[in-house]
Amino acid sequence: MFSIIFNKKSTAASGVIGLNERNIRLIYPNNPKKHYPLADDKVLTKEILHQYNIPCAETYAVIEYNSDIKEAWKSCQQYNSVAIKPANGSGGGGIKILKKDKNDNWISNGEIITDRQVFQHMASIIMGFFSLGSHDRVLVEECIEPHPFFCEIYPQGVPDFRIITLNKTPLMGMLRMPTDRSDGKANLHQNGVGIGVDMKEGRLLEVYDGKEYSNHHPDSTFLVNGTPIPYWKEILEISVATAKAFPLNYLGIDIVIDKNKGPQIMEINVRPGLGIQLVNKTGLKEVIKRAI
Amino acid sequence: MNSKTNLKIALTLISIIAIISIGLKIKPILNNYDNFNPEKVYKINYKFFFKSGDKNTSLKTYIPSSNPRQRISKESIKNDTTLSFTKKEEIGENLRAIWNTEEKNTYHSVDYEFVFEGKGRNFRIPKVFNVASGKYRKYLKPTQNIQSDNEIINELATQLGQNTKNDKEVIKNIFDYVYAIPSAPIITLTDAVTAIEQNRASCNGKSRLFVALSRNLGYPARIRGGIIVENTDKRTSHAWTEVLINETWVPFDALNNHFGYLPANYLELYRGDKSLITHTTGIQFDYTYKMDEVNHISFLKMNSEELHDLPGFSLWHLIDKNVIPSGALHLLLLLPIGGFLVAFLRNIVGLKTFGVFLPVLIAFSLLHTGFVSGIAIFVGLITFIGLISYPFDNLGLLYTPKLVISLTTMVSVILLATHFGIRNNIEWLTKLTFFPIIILTISAERFSRSTLEDGYIKAIDKLFQTLIATSISYLILSLSWLPSVLVLFPEISLLIIASSTLLGRYIGIRWIELFRFKPLLKAEK
Repeated sequence: MFSIIFNKKSTAASGVIGLNERNIRLIYPNNPKKHYPLADDKVLTKEILHQYNIPCAETYAVIEYNSDIKEAWKSCQQYNSVAIKPANGSGGGGIKILKKDKNDNWISNGEIITDRQVFQHMASIIMGFFSLGSHDRVLVEECIEPHPFFCEIYPQGVPDFRIITLNKTPLMGMLRMPTDRSDGKANLHQNGVGIGVDMKEGRLLEVYDGKEYSNHHPDSTFLVNGTPIPYWKEILEISVATAKAFPLNYLGIDIVIDKNKGPQIMEINVRPGLGIQLVNKTGLKEVIKRAI
Repeated sequence: MNSKTNLKIALTLISIIAIISIGLKIKPILNNYDNFNPEKVYKINYKFFFKSGDKNTSLKTYIPSSNPRQRISKESIKNDTTLSFTKKEEIGENLRAIWNTEEKNTYHSVDYEFVFEGKGRNFRIPKVFNVASGKYRKYLKPTQNIQSDNEIINELATQLGQNTKNDKEVIKNIFDYVYAIPSAPIITLTDAVTAIEQNRASCNGKSRLFVALSRNLGYPARIRGGIIVENTDKRTSHAWTEVLINETWVPFDALNNHFGYLPANYLELYRGDKSLITHTTGIQFDYTYKMDEVNHISFLKMNSEELHDLPGFSLWHLIDKNVIPSGALHLLLLLPIGGFLVAFLRNIVGLKTFGVFLPVLIAFSLLHTGFVSGIAIFVGLITFIGLISYPFDNLGLLYTPKLVISLTTMVSVILLATHFGIRNNIEWLTKLTFFPIIILTISAERFSRSTLEDGYIKAIDKLFQTLIATSISYLILSLSWLPSVLVLFPEISLLIIASSTLLGRYIGIRWIELFRFKPLLKAEK
């Protein structure tokens, strides 16, 4: 009866880690709560990344007060594309990608955006509209151009790698890609797909859409399973470098591959989700056992 | 490691102490288990004062006897020595107390005291009744005040009996008719016909009319008299009706709207169209019924002193001395149990809920409002808030001011609904008292916050899971014996701490994750 309530058998049999075990065994002992802001605040994350010369999108401006908006935006006019983000945003809320057209107009989502609208957006970020009421900072940074490798699989949105590290060792990885149904988002529970990664060989494995596994992205015919990942060595290197730079020992590191600059760290996560186990058809416990 | 071992030892010690302390009490408590399980216990005292007249003076009243839904005990009679007391069992099962004196023009007082334990009883009423046997013939006959053969009664009864499919509907029609007559505290005797004619009646008039109509249509019926017991002193008695349905006398109170139901605080005293007190005419006489609610634990036949003398520690003195109102004390005691339940549901089952204690608190509000109407109100309000906040979302308002708008709308809606409910006599709309309003407000806040953080679909999913957790909490918290057990065994809270520590170290897979990781778990097998 007890073993039924507490699922003794099934957990022992598979190497799957559940939320309880993740919290008690991985997060609590490895990630001290006082260091969470280093991961949750994108500005702080990037400060450390810059400090250790780990590749990441170049920071164009950090705006803390409304009075600084105009001047900061002026200094950004030299670039052809920028990404505006709330430092403490969650779930991609408040992110705007701006690109210049031929006539030097800023375009967002296919429409011209005026300076006034940009100021308004920045002001609402500062007022905490995207960070649940707390005061926030605006991060203006270089806009990442996805590597052509991704276009072959699926041409839209920004796909990213998620690498799980424990004690500076990369354990498991996946590639997250948007789909026609996911509205440009690469998140698994927003209808994106996850693609398993063979960590040793640096090859993509099967595509998992939340229900089923296949060898193709749902919206293309390109054979994903077995494709080698470009820059795989670098991806592992910057993951390890990032893991070493932060006083957090269990991390989910998000990495994109830029067309020109190669792999870049996007953000790091102190409470990485467990869906990656499903994508790779492997329990984390198993991988940890092998790694130690 | 050392501190971990110390903690383990401390927790084991605490558990052992708690279990020993519970063990000490368990035997006397089991020995005193009472399967009568009264809901209400009162100490009742008839107090009579009179001055005897010029000749022999007597005073008679009905006294209660035990039956399956009321228990009478600890009777005691105090009267001055010049009074002689006799107890007489009348035909028709009524018990009567009689005090006589031969002393002339003297003052006398009588205290008749007993303990009444009562429980509510619901009667199932079949659609079709069997024909009553001949021995109940007298319950079909007209009397002076129950004129079941009267023309007016006959006409009304025929009308009420028309277009009915079965006996239950006939009785329901009679009940509804009599219930609809405006009630009035009429002191003079109202017979059945007068009750119709003046369209106004007290409990006596109504019960006489009910009996007359039933008898006219061939259902044996009689009047039942007693007292509605409350924690106060009073002088009024009460009368209701009993109809013989398949050899069972089923109660109907067409004044207080009890159909086939007798509440726990109805003290049954006599059968038939009687007066509770009769005395020799022309004497000075005064009386009151003094009633005090007695704190009790429903499943124990122990009195207050015996409960105080229980070995070990219990919270009985808090109840007995009325230190904390019993409702508040129950809430306090149930909170840890509910919290533990939610912890179990979250960490073992894997339900996602708004907040930890919110499902428990919502369950408490449901205890006030009733389960079905409470859930309906809750879901209705939250959907309403969702709809209201949608246009404001698009306006791009800041979080906190937006919340204020939702909450203000919600409070206004609750107040309007309550107002509407009172106006139109819709009972379930009026049940939102202070406590449920606060809890519902907090829940709605959490919900609208979740719609922002996780989006509508996830928020609704979470709301659904919260409702499941709430329903389970409600099932546990509505167990009527649970608060009493916690009063007797407050050590349980120590055990909750110990088990929560174990739960806090639990690293197994949650039930919901069994489904989530099904492909992986299957592959391994």
